[in-house]
Amino acid sequence: MYAKEMVKQSLPLIIFCGLGAIVAGSTLGVMIDLLKEIPGLIVVVPAIIALRGNISTAFGSRLGSAYHLGIINSENLWNEELKQNIMGSLILSLFVSIIIGLLAYLTSFVLGVYPDPIKLISIVLIAGVISAVILNLMTIVIIYLVFKRGYDPDNITGPALATFGDIVTMVCLFGSAFLVEVVL
Amino acid sequence: MIYSWKKIVKHSLPLLSVTILIEIFAGQILQGKQESLLLFPVFLISIPVINSISGNIGSVLGARLASGLHVGYITLSLKNKEMHDNLLISILIGLITYLILAIVIYFLALFGNLIEEITLIEFVAIIVFTGFLLICMVSFISVLTAFISFKRGLDPDDMVAPVVTTVGDVMGIIFLFSVIGLIGVGL
Repeated sequence: MYAKEMVKQSLPLIIFCGLGAIVAGSTLGVMIDLLKEIPGLIVVVPAIIALRGNISTAFGSRLGSAYHLGIINSENLWNEELKQNIMGSLILSLFVSIIIGLLAYLTSFVLGVYPDPIKLISIVLIAGVISAVILNLMTIVIIYLVFKRGYDPDNITGPALATFGDIVTMVCLFGSAFLVEVVL
Repeated sequence: MIYSWKKIVKHSLPLLSVTILIEIFAGQILQGKQESLLLFPVFLISIPVINSISGNIGSVLGARLASGLHVGYITLSLKNKEMHDNLLISILIGLITYLILAIVIYFLALFGNLIEEITLIEFVAIIVFTGFLLICMVSFISVLTAFISFKRGLDPDDMVAPVVTTVGDVMGIIFLFSVIGLIGVGL
């Protein structure tokens, strides 16, 4: 039966991704003290999760297309095409992290909350770039394994990156907020 | 060489900037409710979960509609039966997922001593009702985005996921606070 088949195929994966999100949410729960101490920090949470999700799933899906086009494979993985993709994703993360920090500061300022702009932008920048490096590495490892087994990367990278992406991003945000709070 | 970092940045930046702007709006709602959220951390933990489920279901629905439109077994009609079946199944999968994960979150929070003055039934009712409203809205937007982009000659595969996840993030937070207010647990 059609409906039964659809439920059977997508329900387990969606529940699994939800369990990953619980880990990400629990990191937010652990951050309560930092959220109290750093005004504006909670504002960047949805934006930085969305940034990570958008950039890494696009990165993964481009590598998937590159595989189908025959540009990269498990023997010829570390080439100029891959390097350009990594560069693109890192520079985007850098740019957009600064934009997120600035927007969070400006909108908070308008609404009468006064965060420290340097602190807020540094936190987002560090978290954005470090999570980009970690997720790029993870994508390359996943892609390499997928290639070797001859699977279609398009079916695997999306959900895998969405699930790990949220967790890695929240842990990086927590670490970077902690670091900046101690140093600055 | 097919890829260049400049092209990647140039092509991604516009849509990404719009997404970020909307997500900052979602973040400001969280900041406005920060005190209540810090008093009831169980809802803070739930926010990424609520958004993840609706984003995934909306994207899966969008991808199925896109394939149907490309192949031709779904037509651009709001009366299409295949589309209705897909919608109903998405809502069903959503309800099951929200129910299971609400129970998991409640017991995790209970275990971590984060639960105060809220019963399992109340919490599950809040999450499942929020989830139901969100899935209905996200599914509707998924159909709308898929149909409109297909009609204009754009690939629905590129459009549905970013639109659905962004709208879902904002509406998830708004629905959660509305439902909490409606059921009233002192938040």
